[in-house]
Amino acid sequence: MMNLAWVVPLFPLCSFALLLLFGRKWKKASAYVGIVATLLSLLAALGVLAGRLGGTTYEANWTWMQIGDVTLTAGFSVTALNAWMLVVVAFVSWLVHIYSQGYMAGDERFSTFYAYLGLFTFAMLGLVLSPNLLQAYIFWELVGLGSFLLIGFYFYKEEAKAAAKKAFIMTRIGDVGFFIGMLLLFWQTKSFDYDDIFRAVGDGTLSPGMTTLTAILIFIGAIGKSGQFPLHTWLPDAMEGPTPVSALIHAATMVAAGVYLVAALFPLYEASEAAMMTVAVIGGVTAIFAATIGLVQTDIKRVLAYSTISQLGYMMLALGSGSYVAAIFHLTTHAFFKALLFLAAGSVIHAVHTQNIEEMGGLWRRLPWTAPLFLVGALSISGVPLFAGFFSKDEILAAAWLNGSVELFWLAVAAALLTSFYMFRLFFLVFTGEARHDGDAHEAPMSMVGPMVVLGVLSVASGYIQTPWFGSFLGEWLTDGAYHHEAAPGWIAVVATIVSLVGILLAWLMYGKRTVPRDWLSARAPHGYELLRRHYYVDDFYRWTVVALVSFISRLLAYVDRYLVEGIVRLVTGTVSAAASAGSRGQNGQAQTYGAVTVAGLAILVVIFALTGGYWL
Amino acid sequence: MNDVWQANWSMMTPEWIVLAAAIVLLLIDLVMPKERSRRPLAWGAAAGAVLALIATAAMIPADPVSILHDTFRLDGFAKAFKLILLAGGALALLLVAEWEPKEGSHYRGEFAYMMLFALLGAMMTASSGDLLTLFVSIELLTVSSYVLAGLRKTATASNEAALKYVINGGIATAIMLFGMSYVFGLTGTTNLGDIARELQETNEPYMLALAFLLLLIGVSFKLATVPFHMWAPDVYEGAPVPATAFFSVVSKTAGFVLLLRLFVTIFAAAPAEGRDPSSLLLSMQPVITVLAGLTMIIGNVVALRQRSLKRLLAYSSIAHAGYLLAGFAAMSWAMIDSLWIYLLAYVFMNIGAFAIVAHIVNETGSDDLAGLAGLYRHRPLLAAALGLFLLSLAGIPGTAGFIAKFYLFIGLVVTEPGHYVLATVMAVTTVVSYVYYFNLLVQLFFRPASLAPLRRLPAGLSTAVVLCALGTLAIGWVPDLAYDVLAQFGHFGDFLP
Repeated sequence: MMNLAWVVPLFPLCSFALLLLFGRKWKKASAYVGIVATLLSLLAALGVLAGRLGGTTYEANWTWMQIGDVTLTAGFSVTALNAWMLVVVAFVSWLVHIYSQGYMAGDERFSTFYAYLGLFTFAMLGLVLSPNLLQAYIFWELVGLGSFLLIGFYFYKEEAKAAAKKAFIMTRIGDVGFFIGMLLLFWQTKSFDYDDIFRAVGDGTLSPGMTTLTAILIFIGAIGKSGQFPLHTWLPDAMEGPTPVSALIHAATMVAAGVYLVAALFPLYEASEAAMMTVAVIGGVTAIFAATIGLVQTDIKRVLAYSTISQLGYMMLALGSGSYVAAIFHLTTHAFFKALLFLAAGSVIHAVHTQNIEEMGGLWRRLPWTAPLFLVGALSISGVPLFAGFFSKDEILAAAWLNGSVELFWLAVAAALLTSFYMFRLFFLVFTGEARHDGDAHEAPMSMVGPMVVLGVLSVASGYIQTPWFGSFLGEWLTDGAYHHEAAPGWIAVVATIVSLVGILLAWLMYGKRTVPRDWLSARAPHGYELLRRHYYVDDFYRWTVVALVSFISRLLAYVDRYLVEGIVRLVTGTVSAAASAGSRGQNGQAQTYGAVTVAGLAILVVIFALTGGYWL
Repeated sequence: MNDVWQANWSMMTPEWIVLAAAIVLLLIDLVMPKERSRRPLAWGAAAGAVLALIATAAMIPADPVSILHDTFRLDGFAKAFKLILLAGGALALLLVAEWEPKEGSHYRGEFAYMMLFALLGAMMTASSGDLLTLFVSIELLTVSSYVLAGLRKTATASNEAALKYVINGGIATAIMLFGMSYVFGLTGTTNLGDIARELQETNEPYMLALAFLLLLIGVSFKLATVPFHMWAPDVYEGAPVPATAFFSVVSKTAGFVLLLRLFVTIFAAAPAEGRDPSSLLLSMQPVITVLAGLTMIIGNVVALRQRSLKRLLAYSSIAHAGYLLAGFAAMSWAMIDSLWIYLLAYVFMNIGAFAIVAHIVNETGSDDLAGLAGLYRHRPLLAAALGLFLLSLAGIPGTAGFIAKFYLFIGLVVTEPGHYVLATVMAVTTVVSYVYYFNLLVQLFFRPASLAPLRRLPAGLSTAVVLCALGTLAIGWVPDLAYDVLAQFGHFGDFLP
């Protein structure tokens, strides 16, 4: 079965192609094309997983291009890590395809939506299957393209258009790092293959300095894709996309690609202490940073977006602390519970037609399926014992502690407290209290509820693949049996539990029972509150620095190119041509300018040459 | 006289075909009744270019030959670049067949055969082994191009474009000739091979460097690179769209052909001034590097502020010339290979984009960005094709543009010493270019349609778009197709005479 792994991404690609060509005719039937295609992908992915369970790593390559004496290959590989990822991606994608049938019903571009979903799923599965960096980079970009199209899906909203562009360009900034890192690795090792790179790291072909440099450059790509500080600002804006898209791309799969990339290159990172430290610190800082912003947002999807950034920070922290297994474990559980939370949020938005949590409330009775399912997701992400999030977060906290980074450990604990607080702030504001909206709120159709129920079950069950009590199946599987569970101090689990319960209690006091006034924070620390509400001014910072600078340079150059040079030339030829150029500003003046610039350029080169006598540098 | 008749004239078959097609079309145009449509003439011209393309392809296995006292060389380099020139020319002629200016397409016949003459000049440049033939052929291309720019005789914009082109072209020619005269003065010969041999023993590196700078600036006109880039936006905007497509692809390719023929042959072997024992060409690397960097920066940054599609594509073409010049500055082992691949990819993606722009200009009479608004709603396939070309121009993986740019990057990074600064400039300006390419994509996909639906693409344009899309995708996903062709030329081992 593993030799057929390449078919997994093909089904969504077919769905994309078919819907692009015939989507307009098929209209509503488009959904079935997408659902069947992803189901086939899922079944194939399960087959691959089963094959890998009973076998070893499989890799197939063929020549893709020949540049001089360098051969670049394309192919696919099935390792423990990517077989696992295939199933997670195909599964969440399938559920989102089903859910969207209800959520997107009535949209006039229904079939286009499914076509884009197919393109995205294809690219994401292709990324996971890639056996070398170059191929991964290609799919990495295609994933970004899919995300761009889907964020901008509601193109009649200005914000959506702006968000789509912002997402693409911000992540591209990170990708430049990825690209340069990849080329440096190629230059040093003459190969893009993960295996060759790891071999070069192992036998010292790659110097320690180069290892650190390339690892950090590639990590910059991961920072962009996974919304880590300081390239995170696109992710909250990306919430302008349809909610199922937020669940699939901006919670479960694409944003986890950065984590996956670092995990796939883990031997490279392990070889460099500085790179590991960077990953851990960025992860830890992002986890707490985003969590604090999540405290004060009023848009239900933005709260979840900041929570995603924060949870991805946890995964990076786990990787940087050397626990590959904990990162992938949390990636998996997070994929399920965060997708659940987003789909439930979508169901709420579907019911009340607003995203502002101040305008919701009292929905517990009206949404008899959504409300308890949201509660399950919230309990899971908060790390309440027996839910999936508890196990995976505990694993990360233990990894940070055992790695000896005490500061990062306490940072992560603090972030856990904030997480349970803002999640239950959300829960109490949306589902309890009085209804602060008018109109009827109805439960969503079964096509939306069904996927949520499945995810609800998994938000609990997926934790049991890796527990201190029943054995670490996932760890042994990912490390081919070499995994040994280092006993973490038992008090960590106790602290984590207490912290999550305290967070819930605080949220209840403030937003459920209301014994603590809601403006407690904003009244006592108005500046701090404003700082959080404006996301630490990071966006404003970028607007006033980078964007302003580029736009300034652009204006300046356009100005120089058109007017300044012309002005200088006018000055030189001043008296002679004053009358002529005034009359024919459009034509002759300009053409003379161009010629003058050329001659000036030549003169400058010749003068420099004469002055330096041929020594250019 | 005798050896003129005994020369192996069959080596010039592709040139004969193009010349014959041009003359026959000219005569037909002359005798044809005035009111008859000239569209078949344009199709005939395209067919002539395709025939010449086939003839060139058929000659690929032949050994390198040099006839007429080494003035005409048919080596791997000439054949490889003629393939690109002819492909670009044929595709541009398809655009000529569907050219519909406001004032009527009376000059379509003239358009077609003038373009063939220009193409002939470009082909001869690729085969020239002598300063004289090199100069005459590049002038044939240039002078024909002036006419192409001014073909809309009653439109002021077109006249203005032609005039600016002539004036700037004149300056460029003067500077280039001045440089050539130094080279001739130092060596007493016009044959490139003899010049290279003479220069190995020259004791005038100082004069030679001056000649180098003059030639570099002269050639930068054809390439539209700094400091000779400023004419391009005005000329591209004013000229008819098919002519613009031709300039941006065929003229640019011819410029790089000239650059490689002239500089690599003459200056690679000449000693440099001063401490550096290596060649003059290598000692001039910093100059080319700086010009390439400036070209990439100016092209990409100024493109951000353009509203006109043609102007935007003009700045984007300056930026692409900058990438190509960066590839030249790297002087890696695969320099010619990487430039060939890039130019091939550029033919497909740029003419493809221009074909769709031509349709929009035909339909709406304007080339404002707003003309693209909501194209996806009425013509999803057309929008998808334009999207593909833009993604390719931006260098997104899965398209020819990525493979080509990737190859240039490898050349920049893998040579010793690596050109990291240039590679970084290229990477950063590429990100800047995403902004304006994605602006166009936003127009295409995320805008409500504001204008009346466009009609279907006419036959010529749709042929061009389909061919270009296939080429862009094929090189993007199966780059070995292009590399296999390239391998036929043995990495241009027979380049030096």
